[in-house]
Amino acid sequence: MLILRNISAFYGNIEALRAVDLHVQEGCITTVLGSNGAGKTTMLRAISGLIPTRYGEILYYGRNIAGEPPHRIVRMGISHVPEGRQVFYQLSVRENLELGAYVRSWRKKAEIEKDLDFVYRLFPILGERERQLAGTLSGGEQQMLAIGRALMSRPRLLLLDEPSMGLAPMVIRDIFACLKRLHQEGLTILLVEQDVQIALSISDYAYVLRTGKVVLEGPAEELLKGERIKKIYLGEEF
Amino acid sequence: MGAFFSNLPQYLVNGIGSSCVYILMAMGFSLVYSSTGIINFAQGEFAAISALVAYTLSMDLGLPLLLAVAGALALTGFVGLLLERAVIRPLQGKGTLTAIIATIGASIFLKAGARIIWPEEAYKVPEFTQGQLNLPKASFNAQLLWMLGLTAFTVAAMYLLMNGTKLGKGLRACAINPEAARLVGIDVSLMSMAAFAIAALLGGLAGLVSAPFANYGMGLYLGIKGFTAAVIGGLGDVYGAVLGGITVGLLEEVVAGFLSVVLGVSSGYKDAVAVILLISVLLFRPQGLVGKGLVEKV
Repeated sequence: MLILRNISAFYGNIEALRAVDLHVQEGCITTVLGSNGAGKTTMLRAISGLIPTRYGEILYYGRNIAGEPPHRIVRMGISHVPEGRQVFYQLSVRENLELGAYVRSWRKKAEIEKDLDFVYRLFPILGERERQLAGTLSGGEQQMLAIGRALMSRPRLLLLDEPSMGLAPMVIRDIFACLKRLHQEGLTILLVEQDVQIALSISDYAYVLRTGKVVLEGPAEELLKGERIKKIYLGEEF
Repeated sequence: MGAFFSNLPQYLVNGIGSSCVYILMAMGFSLVYSSTGIINFAQGEFAAISALVAYTLSMDLGLPLLLAVAGALALTGFVGLLLERAVIRPLQGKGTLTAIIATIGASIFLKAGARIIWPEEAYKVPEFTQGQLNLPKASFNAQLLWMLGLTAFTVAAMYLLMNGTKLGKGLRACAINPEAARLVGIDVSLMSMAAFAIAALLGGLAGLVSAPFANYGMGLYLGIKGFTAAVIGGLGDVYGAVLGGITVGLLEEVVAGFLSVVLGVSSGYKDAVAVILLISVLLFRPQGLVGKGLVEKV
């Protein structure tokens, strides 16, 4: 579905991604692991068009989408839940979700209404707080809202940037349970995480990124069992 | 002092007229600021250009007033588009301050250009309706009714645009969080273009209703006062612009009356009112009188 081929991208003058190759299989959860500064966020931002890539191709259903602006990428069915949630603080929960459907024709009100219901069923707390300003929600609720907003564009591929960041373990478990459910309903997910255990527990395939390069990849189960990932994290290798 | 109070109704009526102009200007400043983060210092020039073009179209070319006004607004809107594409767009990613300074440059450029085409000190811009109307304690030109009507209409239209249309929601989203706006699929560059074009129309309308006379330099004062009104209103939504416009407009005329009748000095000093207000607000309440602090929970 999505293939990154030899992608390089810069963060200022620093080469944050160095010739990265990555495959996202349709219908799977693919995870990219790595510590801070490994280039995970840069990779998602390159895919969704927020930053330019220097070299390489991003193939989405065989078409190179590198260099397309974000508003076109969203229309193609790739939705990005950014680092730090980035919800619209001064707007209500409902307005945030409606903006998520911005790329869809507003004549399809009934359909959008149905998807709102879907999001409220997925995250009931959002339904209860429909009228509340997003800025007054807790971190976990804001994360749910950011995911809900991304779903409102009816994506085929969901990009998630560290949904666990700064959240209590129980909230993290809830959110990952929802991700698993979305996956079971057919959504393809590309997840970026630091929390290795929980990310691998729901993933099909995983990559480990270190200073902008893929240093390890394999089926999630194998990585979970293997010792190598721990060593990479502890810095005993390379 | 007695004369001052007996004239007060007249000052207030005069103030309503200026308020309308400042409200229109303030909405232009606020729209551009809130959707792009840029203070557009060429906003006053929109008013000057539109008034001068209306003069040329109606007086020199003899077009009917309605056509002249429509033509002037259309051209001013186009200047706004052009400003965004030619000056703001190329500076994308170079920081907001750079863009703000570029608008100062654009303002000087437009003013100088206007001076070449319209070198005289004053051009008589036709009034929509001639004549004077009398109230018990005050009188006013019929033009004031046009100002009131058009301003009320524009305020309502802006409110509907911002709250009821897709364009308005896109503009508001850009104002709150440009990156999140891009991620939900809003074309931020298109929004910036729309904001400048609409601001140009608002400034253009302000110029058309503002004065019986127009010249190339009129944008400076309208700009300062409109900007003050916008800052008082918190540089945000339509309400703020209305509140700020009324504050500046009424206070200015009342102070003008006070200066000339009570203190016996030139009412021309009234222009200082806006500047003093601007400095006070920036010093003591930079978020504006109605501006709220950002509601944010981390």
